[in-house]
Amino acid sequence: MLKEPLSFLLTIEGEKVVDSVLRFGYVHRGIERICQNRNYVQNVHVVGRVCGICSHVHTTTYCQGVEALLGLQVPPQALYLRTLLCELERIHSHLLWLGVLAENVGFTTIFMYAWRDREIALDIVDELSGGRVAHTINVIGGVRIDVSEGQVDTMLARLDELEQRIETLLGVIQHEHTFQVRTRGVGHLSAEQVRRYCVVGPIARASGVDVDLRRDAPYAAYDQLDFRVITTEEGDVWARTMVRVQETIESLRLCRQLLAGLPGGPTSVRARLRVPPGEVVSRAEAPRGEVIYYIRSDGSDRPARVKIRTPTLPALITIPDQLRDVNTADVPAVLAGIDLCIACVDR
Amino acid sequence: MFVEAILQVLREIFPTETIEVQAVPIDESFIALPPNCIHHATEMLVDRFDLRHLSTITGQDTGSAIELLYHFWDGGGLTLRTSLPRNEPHIETLTDLIPGAALYEREVCEMLGVTFDGHPDPRPLLLPDNWDKKQFPMKIDHQNNRLPGQATD
Repeated sequence: MLKEPLSFLLTIEGEKVVDSVLRFGYVHRGIERICQNRNYVQNVHVVGRVCGICSHVHTTTYCQGVEALLGLQVPPQALYLRTLLCELERIHSHLLWLGVLAENVGFTTIFMYAWRDREIALDIVDELSGGRVAHTINVIGGVRIDVSEGQVDTMLARLDELEQRIETLLGVIQHEHTFQVRTRGVGHLSAEQVRRYCVVGPIARASGVDVDLRRDAPYAAYDQLDFRVITTEEGDVWARTMVRVQETIESLRLCRQLLAGLPGGPTSVRARLRVPPGEVVSRAEAPRGEVIYYIRSDGSDRPARVKIRTPTLPALITIPDQLRDVNTADVPAVLAGIDLCIACVDR
Repeated sequence: MFVEAILQVLREIFPTETIEVQAVPIDESFIALPPNCIHHATEMLVDRFDLRHLSTITGQDTGSAIELLYHFWDGGGLTLRTSLPRNEPHIETLTDLIPGAALYEREVCEMLGVTFDGHPDPRPLLLPDNWDKKQFPMKIDHQNNRLPGQATD
């Protein structure tokens, strides 16, 4: 099951779930308030701790907001490296999720393989940044890392290996009858429900709602890249699996494009510590969907308000709908299918 | 650009209000409205522009008022801004138009003490069960006793 602090109160009739009540907030750290007491530079490290899996997308969204307030032009090399880390993060997040789902439906082999293969992505991240998950490569005005040509070559070789492994995983999943029985028709959400509840990310795309901020509102270097947005119509856990695994392969393609097109040059520009008064809304596509930051500056060295909305929050509101009338044994599959990140929700 | 069209309709349905657009970096427009217009304006956004994606609701205490920002998104950002009095702030819920607003409203409610009239389930969202219900941690005068004191020599 999930290894995160979240409480479900399920009402059951026989084997069917009739109703469910959620309670969360067990890891609420008050990060929005903490941000008001730290300066803009310190806050990069604070918002990197919102999530333990997609920490990079949080610092990216925060930094691009502050950079917009400062009116900074970030060098292209920095934007490429940011995007590269975003995609590597998506790869390891989706593989982690695939492992969790497989374990929850009793397919331990895929769990082991997915988490083993995730290590390749983590090794690349580790080599680039010095950290496996909490790496904070962003600074206001760019990134703090650069890559050498030798590193590009080893990364490309590892990406090839990873792609082969993911293709193998995809082949196994697609032809595994038991896996299909456990996931098809389970946790169904229609496109209408997705839009009613403002759900974002792979869950929305698996229900046929074609949204992806990387394409719709390109940030960092996404406007210079060529990629497909994967959507399916079924809207069940099976569809979400297909969307996420194919997105992982698409992300690998993006990584190759980024490495081939690295523009070189400086990786950061100098940023002032005091930010002129103003407001900004910054959005980015995290592995789980749209992340939004609202930042208000009053002209001092610390923000007057930082509001963070993570993609799991709107997904939580769909849980009672998804769990209604499912078998008790399918509850873990439904919950895993959402790709919950409770630390993100609680902040 | 869809903001222009929305602005035109807003000026038609609220002829007595002066409605201005504020451009914000990264493709976002802020439109300020009085609190009693927010529900009607959202109804119009949903019905006429099919703008149903509410990204979140930001609540902030500016010292003189409680500000609510409704961040919508449909290929571009649109934010409706409104100001409530700091003393017993309340506003009509949007959950009847956009069910996805339920959790955002609950968070603003417990953090800033804003009452959303007609919210189907206004329980606290994130704070502990034994939290003092009269304390609102995002208000600027909230005292956090657990912060370490200032260092002295």
